[in-house]
Amino acid sequence: MKTRPRLEDLQIGDTIPTLSKVVRREEVKAYADASGDQNPLHQDDAFAQSVGFPGIIAHGMFTMAHVTKAVTDWVGDPAGLVAMDVQFRAVVFMDETLEAGGEVKAVDPETRRVTLSVWAAVERDEKRVLAVKNSTAVVRLD
Amino acid sequence: MPLNQALVGKEYPALTMEVDRDAVDRFAEAIAEDGAVFRDAEAARAAGFPEQLAPPTFPTRMQIAVSASIAADPDLGLDYTRVVHGEQAFEWLRPVHVGDVLTAAPRIADVRAKGPLEFLVVESEIRDAAGEVVVRARTTLLSRGPGGGAS
Repeated sequence: MKTRPRLEDLQIGDTIPTLSKVVRREEVKAYADASGDQNPLHQDDAFAQSVGFPGIIAHGMFTMAHVTKAVTDWVGDPAGLVAMDVQFRAVVFMDETLEAGGEVKAVDPETRRVTLSVWAAVERDEKRVLAVKNSTAVVRLD
Repeated sequence: MPLNQALVGKEYPALTMEVDRDAVDRFAEAIAEDGAVFRDAEAARAAGFPEQLAPPTFPTRMQIAVSASIAADPDLGLDYTRVVHGEQAFEWLRPVHVGDVLTAAPRIADVRAKGPLEFLVVESEIRDAAGEVVVRARTTLLSRGPGGGAS
C-alpha cells in the first residue's frame, strides 16, 4: 500500500502526481451507459460534426471523474474527499491523452483540510489545452 | 428566448435510486477506477466501509436525470439540444456505497445570462434512507453559443 500524504509535510505549491490516460471511444460509450447521459454529442460522430466538432467528445463528467481519481489516488482514502468544483473549459476528443493533476493552495491544521487547485489537460496540435481549469478540490487528511 | 428568471428557487420532484452493484461496477469500469474499495465488497470492508464504494462522481447518474427533467420544463424556455455542461460541484459528507437508497431533491438555484450565453444552475441535496445528507451537487448548464463551448 502506498504512503498517504501527511498534512505536516505539505507545502503550498506542492503538486500531486499527474494521472494520465488515453481516452478511448469504448470507454466514452461505456460512460454514456453507466452515467445515463446519452447525448449524441458523445456517441454519434455525424451529430458531433453537425455542431462543429471533428468527432464525438468525452463527457465533461468523464473528465471530472479522471480529475477526482487523481485526487483520491493521492489522498489514499476515499473518505478523505470533501468537495470539488470544476469548470469545463475545453472539449476532449477520442484517442487524446488526458492528464489530470493538482497543486496545494492552502493547508489548515485545525480542520485537517487541504485545498488544491485541480486541472485536466490534453496535448493538441503541439499545444496544451486545459479541459478543466479554475477548479478546486478540498480533502481531509487524518 | 431568454430563460424564465421567475423559476429561480423552484423545486422539482425528488428522484430516488438504489445504488446497485452492477451499476457501480459499470461506472467504475467506464472511468478506469481500479481502486479495490470501488471494485470489491471485501476490500471495502477491510478498509472500514460497510460495502463496496461507489466512485465519488457516481451521483452524476442522479444529477443528470434531474437536470434533464428540469431542462425540459416548458416554463423554463431552454433548448436542451444546445446545452452543454459548464461547471460541476460536489460536496461529499460520506462515501456512497452499494445498497444505499438515495433521494435527490433538485431545485433551480440560479438562472442568468452572460453575453450570448445563458446559465442554468441546478442544486440537489442527496439524502440516504435515514434522511441524512450524503452529497450536495451543483450543476451549471449553459446554452452553447456560436463556436462551441464545453461538454
